[in-house]
Amino acid sequence: MSDFEIDLHEDKTSYTPGETLRGAVRWNSQTSPRRLDLSLLWYTSGKGTRDVGVIETIGIDNPGALGSQEFAFTLPDGPYSFSGTLISLVWAVELTCTPGAETVRREIAVSPTGREIVLDHVPSQRRLPWTDKGPGGNPLESILSVRR
Amino acid sequence: MRARDNPFAVERVHAVRYRPLGETLEQILTRLDRMNYRGAIVGPEGSGKTTLLEDLQSALEARGFSTRMIFVNDAHPFDGTTCRRLLSELPSDEIVLFDGADAISPSCWRLLRHRTIQHARGLIVTTHRRGRFPTLIDCQTTPQLLQEIVADLLPRDQAISPDLLTRLFAEHKGNLRDCLRHLYDLLATDALPA
Repeated sequence: MSDFEIDLHEDKTSYTPGETLRGAVRWNSQTSPRRLDLSLLWYTSGKGTRDVGVIETIGIDNPGALGSQEFAFTLPDGPYSFSGTLISLVWAVELTCTPGAETVRREIAVSPTGREIVLDHVPSQRRLPWTDKGPGGNPLESILSVRR
Repeated sequence: MRARDNPFAVERVHAVRYRPLGETLEQILTRLDRMNYRGAIVGPEGSGKTTLLEDLQSALEARGFSTRMIFVNDAHPFDGTTCRRLLSELPSDEIVLFDGADAISPSCWRLLRHRTIQHARGLIVTTHRRGRFPTLIDCQTTPQLLQEIVADLLPRDQAISPDLLTRLFAEHKGNLRDCLRHLYDLLATDALPA
């Protein structure tokens, strides 16, 4: 067993907005942490800068070296879990220990179907209809010339 | 490929730490100590200047120094008012780590340099060119370095041809950040050559 664990009730990882997520955290540490923080959060992953939203945090002060505690979070209306080629939005329950860098995370999916929404890839080279040059040349130039 | 599975996702790339060529971080810290904690990290875009600055901050704090990191770019400008406010509240035991010395005006730079020499424990800056401040290190990149970073980011059962990486390195003029972004796009669109 690792020092810190997050158990989700019935090992459930698929949720719908508004549903209650239940589980328990267990710890068995060589030293006594000063504090444990359990957070319900989402974060983005991909090509851009990471964005994070912390929905709720449960703090456990002076938890001792060995112990466990049950928890429950009510999931908000959104955002939904999704993945495209440029960005994914991932929901998770994360346990952090102070002092120390110990972090344990359990990923979950939150959406109306309970599954991550997968966005289809849109080829970047595909020309959109309004960018096509007609027989008269660049349509934007035509508009500008009319307005002059 | 889903963004979260892409080995070149930003958060994975950011987890890669600076790799000094031909020396260790300890040797850089020793040199910094001899320079009285005043020096410039010099190098072109994508050569690891900011990463090294972050690594130095961690190493200095682990040694008991108090530090302050300042990032300057178009979104976070550093004008005269900001500069004077910083300098007025600067504790004398603090080392200022300043990312983006090229992005501030000459008058701000003179003020910052002069006041930190007088009142702060140290000043470490990143810059694209030599001459503004004593050079602590000149950040260099090589195709070999790109290959090592890519090998660390990829799952063990995957590889990318060294020839492709050498071509990317040349195409992006040694900018490793742009090389890794390019690789992200290739994997995202399944366009990586077999």
